[in-house]
Amino acid sequence: MYGELIVATNVLLPLIMGLACLGLTGRGIRRAIIAIMAASLIASSLLLFYSGGFVYSPNYLVEMSALILGFCLVAYFLYVGFRIKNVLVIGLTLLQILLVAYFEYSAIGVSVEPALMVDNLSIFMSLIVNIVGSMICVYALSYMDEHEEILQLSRSRQPRFFFFLLLFLGAMNGLIYSNNILWLAFFWEVTTLCCYELIRHDRTKEAEKNAAVALWMNLTGGVALSASLFVSYYAIGSIALNELLMAGAAPILLLSFAFMALAAFTKSAQFPFHGWLLGAMVAPTPVSALLHASTMVNAGVYLILRIAPAIKDTHLTWAVVLVGAFTFMLTAVLAISQRGSKRILAYSTISNLGLIILCAGLNTPLAYSAALILLLFHAISKGLLFMGAGVVENRLHSQNIESWEGLLGRFPLTAIIMIVGMISMFLPPFGMLLGKWAALEVIASSPPSIVFLLIIFMVIGSATTTLFWARWLGRLIILPVKETKLRAEKLHPPYLLSLLSLLSLDLFISVGAAFFISNLVNPTVGGGYSVQIGAPLFSINTTIGSFPVLLFWLAVGVIFIAGFAVAKSKGGVVKPPFLGGENVEGNPSAFRTMADTEAEFQVSVMSFDSIGEGRLNKYALVGGTLLLALLFLMVMF
Amino acid sequence: MPDPVLSYALPVLLLAAFPFIGGLLRGIDRKITAHMQSRIGPPVLQPFYDVIKLWGKKPFITSQFQPVLAFGYLGFSLMAAAILVFRLDLLLLLFTVATADVCLVAASFNSKSPYSHIGGMRELLSVLSYEPVMIMSIISIYFATRSFLVGGIFSLAYPLLLLLPGVFVAMGFVLIVEMKKSPFDISASMHAHQEIVRGVFTEFSGYTMAMVELGHWVKMMLILSIMAYFWAPNLLIGVGLALLLFFVSLVVDNIYPRLTWQRMLKTTWTFGFTLILANLVALFLLGGV
Repeated sequence: MYGELIVATNVLLPLIMGLACLGLTGRGIRRAIIAIMAASLIASSLLLFYSGGFVYSPNYLVEMSALILGFCLVAYFLYVGFRIKNVLVIGLTLLQILLVAYFEYSAIGVSVEPALMVDNLSIFMSLIVNIVGSMICVYALSYMDEHEEILQLSRSRQPRFFFFLLLFLGAMNGLIYSNNILWLAFFWEVTTLCCYELIRHDRTKEAEKNAAVALWMNLTGGVALSASLFVSYYAIGSIALNELLMAGAAPILLLSFAFMALAAFTKSAQFPFHGWLLGAMVAPTPVSALLHASTMVNAGVYLILRIAPAIKDTHLTWAVVLVGAFTFMLTAVLAISQRGSKRILAYSTISNLGLIILCAGLNTPLAYSAALILLLFHAISKGLLFMGAGVVENRLHSQNIESWEGLLGRFPLTAIIMIVGMISMFLPPFGMLLGKWAALEVIASSPPSIVFLLIIFMVIGSATTTLFWARWLGRLIILPVKETKLRAEKLHPPYLLSLLSLLSLDLFISVGAAFFISNLVNPTVGGGYSVQIGAPLFSINTTIGSFPVLLFWLAVGVIFIAGFAVAKSKGGVVKPPFLGGENVEGNPSAFRTMADTEAEFQVSVMSFDSIGEGRLNKYALVGGTLLLALLFLMVMF
Repeated sequence: MPDPVLSYALPVLLLAAFPFIGGLLRGIDRKITAHMQSRIGPPVLQPFYDVIKLWGKKPFITSQFQPVLAFGYLGFSLMAAAILVFRLDLLLLLFTVATADVCLVAASFNSKSPYSHIGGMRELLSVLSYEPVMIMSIISIYFATRSFLVGGIFSLAYPLLLLLPGVFVAMGFVLIVEMKKSPFDISASMHAHQEIVRGVFTEFSGYTMAMVELGHWVKMMLILSIMAYFWAPNLLIGVGLALLLFFVSLVVDNIYPRLTWQRMLKTTWTFGFTLILANLVALFLLGGV
């Protein structure tokens, strides 16, 4: 009964509510639907967290209808392939149909008990997907209104947008509950569908093009997943994920896991599949937030975390490590050459996912904890950052971070939210740094054969990460701004609700990190690992290091309070910047020239064009492809 | 049973002494540098006179946030020093130093000053050039002591330097970057002989400059202390080593001109990485771990 309730609220209800959004197109009613949906998703995921996992097998009828829906889905992909005349999409879909049809024909009546199995890892993922995802849906209510106002659409396309948004969450929940690999593959393809439809939502030429890229790359993952299903069935006669994970590490099973890892890399946009996530930014911002923070990319990471215990001590796990490490470093370097706000965020996402996959691949108890910590904090921070970036974009009508100059003076509230979001990505004592701290310890204790390579990847990736965040942060705080009179900044209630809840969640979990690690992360580690992170007295300890989280927060608090006290007691007259004495009265961004005329000047960010995408992308593609080859080569050893 | 004097009183005293020793070293630095350039130079206590004078000057700021960020630079530098003297986690120390740096950079980005912005960006490049070397040094210390805690260095029976000579030299590069000495002083020189407008420090004056100056002393002391810990069994020898490196950095400062940022990055990374990796490989091969 309990299991059915959770499945009904988290998987079926989003679909039904999504259909309701399609049918009932009123603005008020849509707000009501999203509010109800968000509340019930959050409530049910919390209920799931408190009540623990369950197993659930739907009856035959449900199973049959899922199968039929699955074939409808690939048929739709085939139709899309012909419509956009994309050979890759057609080919991959046909391959998919062939694989699944042959499987269904040869394995008639194979059934999996239980079809859905919810354990601690699923619960952990479910909290991220539902809480962050719901907030993004709430945020989208305001964003899409503004978005359509800017586009000046004659007829609102929001019903369709929210349908796919909700369906996405439902499918994501289904994906993390599935134990039957066939079901997993089905939900996997539903997320691909939602992703495709949401990216092309605006129907511009660029949107269609990028959506097609996302489609074929993710279909590659789908085919890989079907192949894995196939191999698994022929190796152990079962397509239950739990049985596959228990079956040991025979070479043939490793092949199955290698296919799963490949599928995960496509979804998590690891090299060489990073292109689709960058292209996905043409979509309205809530889509990016959803893809980066709560759904799509986390599906890949989830799958890696799921299979990690099974590939422990195999060569395969090192290939996974290398893919993650290589992606982590190179995308961080790529990010410093970018000036588009969403592009920087996207590279940062791919980079952090690389780090998570690197940790998952290292496959020690501490590494697994590090991966979970990074995943948790990344989801919250990145959701917040994308949402904030969307608000800014709708106000400035530009994605270039040059135009963010002096945001603190122009839109103080949004700016503060963005500043905290950025700090939470790269400075202590926020959670991401806690994850990075654990990751550094893990990498340092990896085997001698690989440790040097990983250290180099890690240090370069970390240092460049600091650079691109600090550089961007610096744009926001340029003061004073030209418009001296501050406009009172007004944010719509859904914006306020979603941004402030994620912000406070981020702060809350970062301050209480010790508590959350012992109650949320450690129980999830389980599964063949012994927990190696202790969290006594608000400090986080491993066998080789210690991070006194609460003490750190206290120190930060003291420093800032003392800083404000000093600033207040000493005060000071605000003076214009040093311009060799040639300042123009009343205009902080102009100077007097030789000819005594007034000239405006600009300060821009350093761009590092010489190490940009043009130069590094080929390394990313070649390196990524070679590492994929390595992945399959490792199966043979 | 840990001795309360040893575990609390001594570290607190040490921490309190950090800015004073740092200031004194800056005075000695100026004196020695002056002698190298055949000048007499200011009194050794001049840095203290400067800071006191700066503190009392009429305050000018670029915005209300600038003094807070300048204080942040000092505060986080002190916090990093506290992490060191209380023998906590070295990675935490590194993160805290990075936070101090970001405060300084943010303070320099705070005004729309072209000089300050270029300086801030170049300060970030300095961080980019020393941070990887410093993380690698910390990981090397972990290889030698099997702990990320500073305390691990002290539980080792023999000096760290015998195991990690390459890392010690690599840390010398970090020291030169942190002291803002040529050839690695791209963001701002500590001496007036290099430039007229002072890069990342351009927009600081009065008490904000005083706080930045103090922060700089503490950070310099921080790196020097880490270097002294390379001979932990007898800290007197360690301090001698650190002072030797301090002197070497002064000599280097007076010999070399400033590099471009690209060459600085290449130099610190190439030398730092090679030295540390060679050291670690040797350590693994000799079975020292």
